[in-house]
Amino acid sequence: MLDVALVSLIQDMSEKAGVDGTIQYWQRVGENLARRIGKEAYMGWPSFNVALREGRTGFSIEGDVIPLTDLAITDVDGDVVGYIYALRQCVFVPTILRVRYSVGELPRADRAVAEEYNNSVHDIAVCNFCVIHEKFREEVAKNITIAGQHLESLLLATRGFTGETKISERNLKKLGINPEHVRSLLRNYECVYAILMKGVKLKEA
Amino acid sequence: MATEPMREKLIESNPFVDVATHLFLEDIADKQGASGLNNYLMSLATNLAKSMPEEEYDTWDEFLEALKNGNSILTAFEEVFMPTKNCVVTRRSPFERGWQEYVKRVGSFSRIHEEVAEYYNSAVKPTAINSLHIIHQTFRAAAAERITVGGKRVRYAQIATVWTDGEKKIVPDEWLPVLLAKAGISRTELNMLLRNNADVWLLYTD
Repeated sequence: MLDVALVSLIQDMSEKAGVDGTIQYWQRVGENLARRIGKEAYMGWPSFNVALREGRTGFSIEGDVIPLTDLAITDVDGDVVGYIYALRQCVFVPTILRVRYSVGELPRADRAVAEEYNNSVHDIAVCNFCVIHEKFREEVAKNITIAGQHLESLLLATRGFTGETKISERNLKKLGINPEHVRSLLRNYECVYAILMKGVKLKEA
Repeated sequence: MATEPMREKLIESNPFVDVATHLFLEDIADKQGASGLNNYLMSLATNLAKSMPEEEYDTWDEFLEALKNGNSILTAFEEVFMPTKNCVVTRRSPFERGWQEYVKRVGSFSRIHEEVAEYYNSAVKPTAINSLHIIHQTFRAAAAERITVGGKRVRYAQIATVWTDGEKKIVPDEWLPVLLAKAGISRTELNMLLRNNADVWLLYTD
């Protein structure tokens, strides 16, 4: 109910504060949530991935996060410095369905916020909620260390409720991953992102 | 009519958004105090009700059927049963899962959620235990205003509230006899209902 109430505010908020104001609002929501969840430390990637599977990390509030451990990210020396992770279902799909069957339809501002975010911040949003996700994961990653090193999260690809897909050329280029590889992941998953050690030197694409 | 699995999905909360929202509300309280947060919560709930379609029913029985099946906006987010024609009982708070997720991921529920309820209880009506009840009860009142039965506007009154941890809030003693009479239940029956349900409320027309 709280989620549907928030969605009903989007239109009003966007009319009063503009779509950029809504983006800032969602970013604050994501940032605040991550900050309050607190810090975590892991011995290495296996313990982090097990914690993720068991729902013990800050990322787990989004639901069942699947570590794609066959998709390791390596640095210039060939050492594993991260992995690709995915959500089978976007956290917000149940909310979108609840809005659909209680209010009737998502507010027009949903699309407007996503489009503004794509134009001004990162071309990856398939709905306005993607704004919260991306900021939340970026901030959660800052609070986690693996073998003493801080993490960063990069959103790679999204598939929306209506089937629209977005792939982040910017982040894939940074990781040296072929977009077609990620596109095939979107058949099974609705949100694909990378978690890797911050500041590592990656191979050029 | 929504199918059972769809109905369950409608009632279920989104813990990610719920926890994020609680924290955001705490931020609002830091800046605007309990009264500012109370206004925000009430406008959030009213806004939601206003975004939902109006309803009209020819008879009270028709309205009751819609309530029980979750086809009325009043019960879109909660599973209810009705021991009498005017008394409505919510089995489980729609906010429970979000609260449990908060307790698990963040820690004890911030005291501000109770403080704002204390403000609401003194300024609006004494029926809330925490911030979530302000949203829920304001929503019910605003949603009831969008419904007519036999051409008459539906009225709502909260009788008692129980939170997930067992804390109870019953309307003041001077209000109780009138509300119980309208609801068609006794004080003992109310206490029985409060053992394992989340809310007891009243719907009627003038």
